[in-house]
Amino acid sequence: MDLLPLTIALDAKLVCAPPGWEKINIETVFASDLMSDVLMSDRDELLLITSLSTEQSIRSAGIVGSEAVVIANNKTVTEGMIALAKEQDIALFCTRFPKYESCVRLGRVLER
Amino acid sequence: MSTGQKEPLQSSLRVQELIYGLRISAVMTSKVFAVSRNCTMRDVRTIMKNNSISGVPVVDSKRVVGIVTMNDLMNALEKGAMDDCVTKWMVGEVQTLAEDMPLSFAISAFGKFSFRQFPVVNKKNELVGILTFRNINHALIRELSRQLREMEQQHEHPPEPESLNLVKVYQLHRYDFENGGKASSEIKRFLKERNIPPKTVRRVAVASYELEINLVAHSIGGMLGFDINEERVKISSHDRGPGIADIDEAMTEGFSTANEWIRSQGFGAGMGLPNVKRVSDEFAIESAVGMGTMVQAVIYLNPETKNENQ
Repeated sequence: MDLLPLTIALDAKLVCAPPGWEKINIETVFASDLMSDVLMSDRDELLLITSLSTEQSIRSAGIVGSEAVVIANNKTVTEGMIALAKEQDIALFCTRFPKYESCVRLGRVLER
Repeated sequence: MSTGQKEPLQSSLRVQELIYGLRISAVMTSKVFAVSRNCTMRDVRTIMKNNSISGVPVVDSKRVVGIVTMNDLMNALEKGAMDDCVTKWMVGEVQTLAEDMPLSFAISAFGKFSFRQFPVVNKKNELVGILTFRNINHALIRELSRQLREMEQQHEHPPEPESLNLVKVYQLHRYDFENGGKASSEIKRFLKERNIPPKTVRRVAVASYELEINLVAHSIGGMLGFDINEERVKISSHDRGPGIADIDEAMTEGFSTANEWIRSQGFGAGMGLPNVKRVSDEFAIESAVGMGTMVQAVIYLNPETKNENQ
C-alpha cells in the first residue's frame, strides 16, 4: 500500500520526506520503542512507529531498510534526527496518537 | 566514498587492527628459560646473566608455579641467600596469558599489571613461551613495515572506484551514542552503491550496527574494522575491556548487563550478540575479563562461497 493513505489515517504531520514519498510502498507496520527488536525483524517495506524520539530510531530504521518512520505521541523531533532522515531518504512524520491507537488506525486502513 | 588515498589516522588505525589480529603465540618468545622448584637463586642468576633476561618462571611438570624476577634476585643477593631454593624467593600466583589470546588482550594486561613479562601457557596450562614488551615492539615494527609496503603498492595501483575491496577501521568511544551507527551507515552505502543485493546489505548493516552499539554501550572504547572483498564482508570488533565473564550467558537471548540509560536509548534488550550471530555466515567471539572482547562476523557476498564453506 502507498504511504499517503496511512499518513492520512494517522493525521500525521510531515517533518521531512524525499520527493515522491506518497508512493513509498508499505507492506507492514512495526511498532516498538526497542531498537533491538527492530533490528531483529526481517520484514521488508516496513513503516516504523516509535515513541523513542532519538537519532538511533532513525538509524535503526535505515539499517533495516525502512523508508518511513512515524514518531508517536507528538514527541519532539531533533535536528539531528531530521538530518539523518534526509541523509538516508527516510520519510519522517509525527502523530499526536500514541502507539496503540496509531496501530489500530493503520490496521483498519490496511485491512480494507 | 573515497577509497584511494588513506588519511594518516586511518592508516595508523589499520596497523592497530593488524596487531589486534595477531595471536600471542605468533609474537612470544618460544625458547623459555625456566627452573624447577629445587633450583637455587644462584642458578637463576646464572641463567639471567648468560641470557640477558629479567625474569625466570619456576615450573613443576611444565606448570608455572612461580616466577623469579630481577627484583627477587636482588633481595636474595642482599640477604646473602643465593643458595636458597627458588621457592623461598619467587612470586607465586603468577598471572599467565593463554597462547591463543589476541595480542590486544596482552597489551591490556601490560597496562593493567606492572609486570615486565608474562609466562604464556597452552590449553593444558603448560608453559610454552614468555611475552615481553620487546616482543610486542618487534611485532609492531614488523606489521608497520608490512603496512608500509602495502600502502606503497596501493599507491602504485590505486583501486578502481567501483571495486569492492575496502579496508576501513572506525574508532568508537564509550557512551558516544551520537556516533554509534555512522560506520554502519557508511558501509551500507558503500555496498549499496556497488549493487550488492539489499537483503545481504541489510545483514551486513545489522551485524555492524549491533556491534557498534555494543562498543559504545558496553565497552570502555574500541574499534570496528571492515575488510571487504568480492567474496565477503569481514567485520571485526575489538575493545579494551571490561571483557565478558561468561560468553554463553552473553550469547543467550534476553541476557543483558545494560543499565537504565542504555535502555532509555532503545537498546539493552540482550539481543545484540545473538542478532549478530543470526545474520552472519561465520561468527566468533573471544573475551577475557579485564583485557577485552573480540568479535568477528563474516557475511558472504557470493552465494557460492556460502556453499563451499558449509
